[in-house]
Amino acid sequence: MPQMNLAEALIDGLIWSLRKDPKATIIGRGMAGHGPEHHAEDRLKAEFASRMVDPPTSEAAVAQLGVGAAMTGMRPFVHYGTAVFAYEAWNQFVNEAANVHYMSNGQIKAPVTFHLFHGIRGGGGPQHSGSPYAMYANNPGLEIVMPSGPRDAKGLIRAAMASDNPTIVMQHALLLGLTEEVPEEDYMIPLGKAEVKRQGKDVSVIACSRSVVDAMEAATELAKEGIDVEVVDIRSIAPLDVDTIVASVRKTGRMVAADETYEICGVASELIATVSIHAWSALKAAPVRVARPMTPVPFSPPLEKAVTPGVSKIADACRKACGR
Amino acid sequence: MTGATREVRLAQFERMLRMRRFEEMVIRLAQKHEYIGRQHLHIGHEATGSAVAMAMQPGDKIHTTHRNHGYVIATGADPGRAFAEILGRNDGLNGGKGGSWHLCDVSTGMLSTSAMVGGSIALATGAAYGLKLQGAKNISFAHFGDGTLDEGVCYEALNLASLFELPVLFVCENNSKAGQRPSSMLAAARLRDIPQALQIENMIVDGADADAARVMFAQAAERVRSTGKPVFVECTLERWPGSHQVTAAFPTGVTDLALAFEQEKISGKHAEWIKSSDPILRATRAFVESGTATRDELAALDARVTTLMEDARAFAEASPFPEPAAAFSGVFA
Repeated sequence: MPQMNLAEALIDGLIWSLRKDPKATIIGRGMAGHGPEHHAEDRLKAEFASRMVDPPTSEAAVAQLGVGAAMTGMRPFVHYGTAVFAYEAWNQFVNEAANVHYMSNGQIKAPVTFHLFHGIRGGGGPQHSGSPYAMYANNPGLEIVMPSGPRDAKGLIRAAMASDNPTIVMQHALLLGLTEEVPEEDYMIPLGKAEVKRQGKDVSVIACSRSVVDAMEAATELAKEGIDVEVVDIRSIAPLDVDTIVASVRKTGRMVAADETYEICGVASELIATVSIHAWSALKAAPVRVARPMTPVPFSPPLEKAVTPGVSKIADACRKACGR
Repeated sequence: MTGATREVRLAQFERMLRMRRFEEMVIRLAQKHEYIGRQHLHIGHEATGSAVAMAMQPGDKIHTTHRNHGYVIATGADPGRAFAEILGRNDGLNGGKGGSWHLCDVSTGMLSTSAMVGGSIALATGAAYGLKLQGAKNISFAHFGDGTLDEGVCYEALNLASLFELPVLFVCENNSKAGQRPSSMLAAARLRDIPQALQIENMIVDGADADAARVMFAQAAERVRSTGKPVFVECTLERWPGSHQVTAAFPTGVTDLALAFEQEKISGKHAEWIKSSDPILRATRAFVESGTATRDELAALDARVTTLMEDARAFAEASPFPEPAAAFSGVFA
């Protein structure tokens, strides 16, 4: 099985999408980022230049270009270099794409995929560090996936492109270089299926995106202290795989919710609410939340680190949940 | 006058009457049912809407604003199901989930009516992109009012349509009224300066003149089909005095074709609109004066359309409300 970094894997997923479906089309450039992994996009351009278009800096109309084309039967993949740019297309995501199937009573589908780089990324400052998927999750009608690694990125992008619904793929900007074995062949990972990334018996860390990577590292560290951590990657906030999450907490009796959206009305809060409703009696201790505190993301590296959920904060949260 | 056959002109007139009698029924339904949502009526724009619908070919797509009733009817949706939707009933075009603001019928090419100002213009541009990518011969229509051009997304969409050479016909219904709070507040001296600046071919037509609008939209649609590029048509219109979204009323009375010939009977503060701006009465006069149809023929057509709308209303009112469980279905495809 070949090794691929996340940028290569997502490009591979796109290439398979374009090969398999003549209706798949790409709006935007730079989906492998602008860092050292950006060459991954060369393969895509070599094979499918004619099915890619480079649009003007018009986030709102570009979103509608994708939604409108999707309504005629195309399957556009619309890339926004940085997630916050899509704030310009807020109405188009949440009020047009998300609603069209419902309000037409199923007459029309909008199978568009939006691809956004999110996250606290080192020097992004207040305006380029956004992770808006909790905001999107507050709107019914959108599927929202947050791959945490190359294998998931490829399979989830394939599934997003094959979905009949508008789907937002939130890619953490700092994970593009992450490398692992990725199957060469075509495959999909169904949307709405969480995965237990690490089995453990003492505490469940329910996480997504970069927080899964951080939780895995924290688990390795905590193993030395005798704390056996289970890591559950929700992979998508909509749909949410409640069964897998609840089963994990029922098993361990303790829960840490780790995620990079904000504390208030964020993904971690939703996970804790979900577990409290469905597995209250299984909890041996109060759930612990590791999320972005309610402050803009500052530029200066030590300040940025102070607001970033990360390995040590997740490890501390696990200790707290376990009464250490 | 236009070389069009009598049948074509009468077919347009029938569409116009259907649009008018449909919306007059909407007013009655709003009065009778007290509240059925807000009414964004298309009265006074029937010549334009019918002309656009007649320029459409099977497979073409149209996105409209929430002032959509006229287009829904003109493009051939079932009026009973349209009334049912406006009343929130189970047999509505959208199963009661959209209401007046979101009537659509995929079978007629009407993909959606966005109630967000600026929604239709960008979605239609996207539909044109989809059609172009699929190598279709079809084109996309974007309906909007002058007020839409207050929105930034319009400039992005027009730019994209021009830049990517997309087959979209922009239908701008301009009923901005000098002296009142206008429906748009634009620095451009002429609306057409906007598409002109973006290298989009543009035309202007009297949007209340049925023949002129029909000829213009046939030409404009043909131009979009043959060049694959966008065209912008500005339709000048006098706003109907009853165009108020909350109050359902008949400030210009229920349409009476006889008034086309009995102008001395027209009075009141809206007399000028009835005399010279009502496209239905203007078309009625043109038919009779040119000898294309008699008053009796037109009256008979009107009676048939009125009966059709009565039957459609009865269908809608007999339709049950949806079961509450339906609120939770269809969020995802």
